[in-house]
Amino acid sequence: MATSVVWNEADDIIRLSDIVKRFGGAQALSGASLAVRRGTVHGLVGQNGAGKSTLIKLLAGLHAADEGVIEIDGTAYASLSPQQVEHLGIHFIHQDRLLVPTFTVGEALFLGREPRIPGTPFLDRKRMRQTSAEILDRYFGLRLPHSALIGELTAAEKQIVQITRALLDNPKILVFDEPTAALVRREAELLFTLIRRLRDEGITILYISHYLSEIVDLCDTVTVLRNGRDVATLPVKKTSAKEIGALMVNRDIAELYPKPKVLPGRPFLELDGLGLANRYADVSLTLHRGEVLGLTGLVGSGAKELLRTLFGLETATAGTVAIEGETVFSASPAAATAKRLALVPEDRRRDGVALDLTVSENTTLASLDRFGRAGLLDKGAEKRQARELIERLQIKTDSADALVRTLSGGNQQKVAIAKWLSRQSEIYLLDEPSVGVDIAAKVEIYTLIGELAARGAAVIVLSSDIDELLGITDRVLVFFRGRITREFISAETSPDQVLAELTGANETLRHVG
Amino acid sequence: MASNASSASSSLRGLARYALVAAFVVVFAIFSAIAPAFLSGANLLSVLVNNFALLAIVAIAMTFAVAAGGIDLSVGTAIDFASFAFVSLVLAGQPIPLAILGGLAGGTLVGVFNALLISGIGISPFLATLGTLFVGRSAQQLLTNGGNPVYLPPSGVPEAFRFLGHGTLAGIPVPLVLAFAVILGTYLILSHTRFGRVVLATGIQASVVRYSGIALSRYTALTYVLVSAIAAIVGLIVTSTVTVYIPSSGNAFLLNAIGATFIGTTLDPHGRPNIPGTVLGVLLLSIVANGLLLSGLNFYWQQVATGLLIFFVLAIGFANRKAASRA
Amino acid sequence: MSVDAAHLSTALSAPVRHETGATKTATGAFGRRLAVLALRQGSMAVFIGVLVYFSIAAPYFFTVGNIGNVLGQSAIAGVLAIGLTIVIIAGGSNVVTGGIDLSLAANMGLSAAVYASLLQAGQGDAVAIIGALGTGLVIGAINAAAITLAGIVPLLATLAVMNVVAGLELVLTQNTVVPASSDFLSAVSASGPFGIPVLAYVLLGFAALVAALVQYTPLGLRLYAVGEFPEAARAAGLRVKLFISGAFLASGLCGGFAGILSVSYLSGSTTGAGDMLLPVVVTALLGTVFSRRLVPTIGGTLLATLFVSSLINGFQLLNISSTLVSGVQGLLILLVVSATTLLQRKGNQ
Repeated sequence: MATSVVWNEADDIIRLSDIVKRFGGAQALSGASLAVRRGTVHGLVGQNGAGKSTLIKLLAGLHAADEGVIEIDGTAYASLSPQQVEHLGIHFIHQDRLLVPTFTVGEALFLGREPRIPGTPFLDRKRMRQTSAEILDRYFGLRLPHSALIGELTAAEKQIVQITRALLDNPKILVFDEPTAALVRREAELLFTLIRRLRDEGITILYISHYLSEIVDLCDTVTVLRNGRDVATLPVKKTSAKEIGALMVNRDIAELYPKPKVLPGRPFLELDGLGLANRYADVSLTLHRGEVLGLTGLVGSGAKELLRTLFGLETATAGTVAIEGETVFSASPAAATAKRLALVPEDRRRDGVALDLTVSENTTLASLDRFGRAGLLDKGAEKRQARELIERLQIKTDSADALVRTLSGGNQQKVAIAKWLSRQSEIYLLDEPSVGVDIAAKVEIYTLIGELAARGAAVIVLSSDIDELLGITDRVLVFFRGRITREFISAETSPDQVLAELTGANETLRHVG
Repeated sequence: MASNASSASSSLRGLARYALVAAFVVVFAIFSAIAPAFLSGANLLSVLVNNFALLAIVAIAMTFAVAAGGIDLSVGTAIDFASFAFVSLVLAGQPIPLAILGGLAGGTLVGVFNALLISGIGISPFLATLGTLFVGRSAQQLLTNGGNPVYLPPSGVPEAFRFLGHGTLAGIPVPLVLAFAVILGTYLILSHTRFGRVVLATGIQASVVRYSGIALSRYTALTYVLVSAIAAIVGLIVTSTVTVYIPSSGNAFLLNAIGATFIGTTLDPHGRPNIPGTVLGVLLLSIVANGLLLSGLNFYWQQVATGLLIFFVLAIGFANRKAASRA
Repeated sequence: MSVDAAHLSTALSAPVRHETGATKTATGAFGRRLAVLALRQGSMAVFIGVLVYFSIAAPYFFTVGNIGNVLGQSAIAGVLAIGLTIVIIAGGSNVVTGGIDLSLAANMGLSAAVYASLLQAGQGDAVAIIGALGTGLVIGAINAAAITLAGIVPLLATLAVMNVVAGLELVLTQNTVVPASSDFLSAVSASGPFGIPVLAYVLLGFAALVAALVQYTPLGLRLYAVGEFPEAARAAGLRVKLFISGAFLASGLCGGFAGILSVSYLSGSTTGAGDMLLPVVVTALLGTVFSRRLVPTIGGTLLATLFVSSLINGFQLLNISSTLVSGVQGLLILLVVSATTLLQRKGNQ
């Protein structure tokens, strides 16, 4: 059933065959297979719930398979223990960089296998320091002051330290689980270069990511999981992100970006010469009712800070903001929400939804004033509002009283948006709205954005996924080094054009011209 | 992830949630059996007035701090300051109503100080209120010449002064009336108002509250002011009962108030601090104290038994919640 | 996964840190380090300044005899604070959900009572020592089980245990002082070489031993990892619960040890050991300013203990009411914590 590439089985370092895994009555894996060839970068993709994480946990020895065989390096195992896994040379690089912030690089690298001064029970700090400096320099050309603490490093530097930790054990197989989630594009590029080098040194890489463009860029082979099975294993050279995406959802890629045609209405939000010291300057733009405006830029380009300013999390140092012609000044999120602004923040699980409040409580958190009755909360009205929004946004939850923690990423994001619908906000600022959301929920969120615009709201979407941005917006503004450098009409633009602008590749040309 | 096999164990957990109620019923039954005097109306009333009323008010104050994701180690300081201000104003010949207002203001001042530290500077509540506790202790010693009690001369005390501690309203002792008023009022505030919802949400995930356009620091400040204001009521009642202000005596309530609040969280399905739970926790502690006294058990064993009871209620409550979060 | 209940862990955490997702610049890190340096040096400067002031105002203050007294008087609180420091290191710096042991002072009281009672019952010092340390260890074991097995947050678990232990002490002593004397006890409370009390040497020796273990061995490094970032420790193959249990056992043992010292110092068990709790908590927390990374360290705790004892001693010599000490301690903790909080806020901007 799976279209397979033909190669010599002896070349496979990992072979998972016909794995079945049940949790209670639910079947997480129903006959999934995965064969990873020695010395390659192998991509693993699938929607949330497709069985990716279960498969990885089996490989890590955290779950035992109900049926099927695991073969590592030619030896078959019924199940693995974490100790065995480590012994076999399989290491996992997680998206959360698991390093102690108050440790020095040396301490973090050697935690759990510290060198001792010979003949004593004491730490050999000197050796830790020297060895770590040497490895970091040799592998990555990274030189850090030896007193530098993990907490003072950038996200990419931390990731390098984590990979180095794994390299100290001479691993045969490295498993990367969404490693770029917290990285800037430039940092991600650095990581890719590194992964290719590790592959060239003979290490096998299993790479799991939501970003299909990364898979196409980086991997030699890709396996697509759907509904607990592998539906395809393809050489990346012979496929495309679109084809992989279609396999994941089994739906035509054209349906991915449903964009209703909305004619922009009257000017709604107007920025004139807005600036924030050292972040961005001279931002002027007009957002109309019914319009979806895209923003993009590298980290530090100022785009994110612009959203934060509009929502009152930062205070502008220059320029003005006007809503329907009236100048407003938002010094706090409270002031901004009063002006009908809404922010769906990027760090959803920290800022967007309260995981241990119920769906209903999250939904009404920003609009509690609406549910007052004689000074008390009208819980019945609250519940009705929540149910209505659960229905309207198709939030998959057991009930309005379920904790948001129990929802999937996509449904949590819908709750984060529902909060503002309940408040009847009209200017929506969406910061990376589809990060960590599976494809089906993404499409639903895109549809919702279209509906908001159709009802006369104005939407600003900040995203680093250019395909998405062009697919769902009317216009895209590119930020580069604190200024808007270019405006694109989404329907007439190709991703490469935006990318070139975004990374500053056009900069030199323009100066010459 | 959904598993049907766990439905049996989840209903078991549902039962375990009522560990607190069960403990209460069992303890009540045991004392009724072994100490006949326990079940008498006079005794139960004395439990309510002498053991329950004061601790309930302090524990409720604590519940707000815990609900907002913090703790207030300086509730005793608020009690003391209220008591000191009350006694000082009466000694200075001020009318009782004014002295009562002054006492409330004196206690509330402690909360204002905490609010500045927690909401203004951003110190964690544990450390801020620990600091307040120490500074407050020293301040009281300075105010009282090294910690001497301030007595009201028996002859000079207006009868109105004793009303809060000894009076009755419609036949019900005033401390009990005040406790019930506080219970009812705070229950409405915590469970049925916007303020209460924001406090609970802050305790669960403060950044979401801020990102929802709610003036977080204002609510946090208000919470700690409210905690002290509620605690101040106890200062007034105690002083009115014993007609003396004893420096740093309010701390006696601290640990039981914390204990009752957290015992109370075991009653909520999500483990949230809640007024009914806190009240039930205080009730449990009160009848245990009284029942042990009547049972004739050595006074010192009583403390051990109380400690063990708290320990086991917490252990069952937490072990149960741990199991729930694992499922 | 999580050790404590989901709600409590979030509900009790410190106020929201104002983190921005932006990567920190090199100058930001440098600025923060400079500020940490200023805070650390500032605290040292205050410490030394106070010592110098006392030495000038009360010439007797800076004599070998008096310094020995200060050290000797610090021994009991110092041992307790060191025990608490171990727990804070392994439990993390969030004092509510993380590491705290409220049962320490009561533990000392009960251990002292056990020691004195055993002597009264005609047992020798060896049995009494085993009894006291055993008492401490059992209390530590109960704390450890309540926290790692039942999953009660440390603040509450140790609070409940504290109540039980304090009750047991009352039961054992009937709230009286149980006198105790033996050659061993006299030797510990006597004056040692250079006219400095033996207790002073005990404190310094104990601190050096624990510091060697905690700051200079792999075990200590792992203890910090467990406290600061349990997931990272787990990922490094460490058994987090084992370390946390070990920390509470160690702290229990410190309680027992302090009990022995207290019997020797006071020639018997004493009531009211619980009063030492909050000063010890404050001392252990104050100690963090003496470390470069603003984390609890054994050396820092020792310095903080000596600082507080010097204050009490200096106030006595200058005839200032010693009641002020509690106020000064309170102000110090507020100052230190304000400074570190503002610093962290700045560091995250």
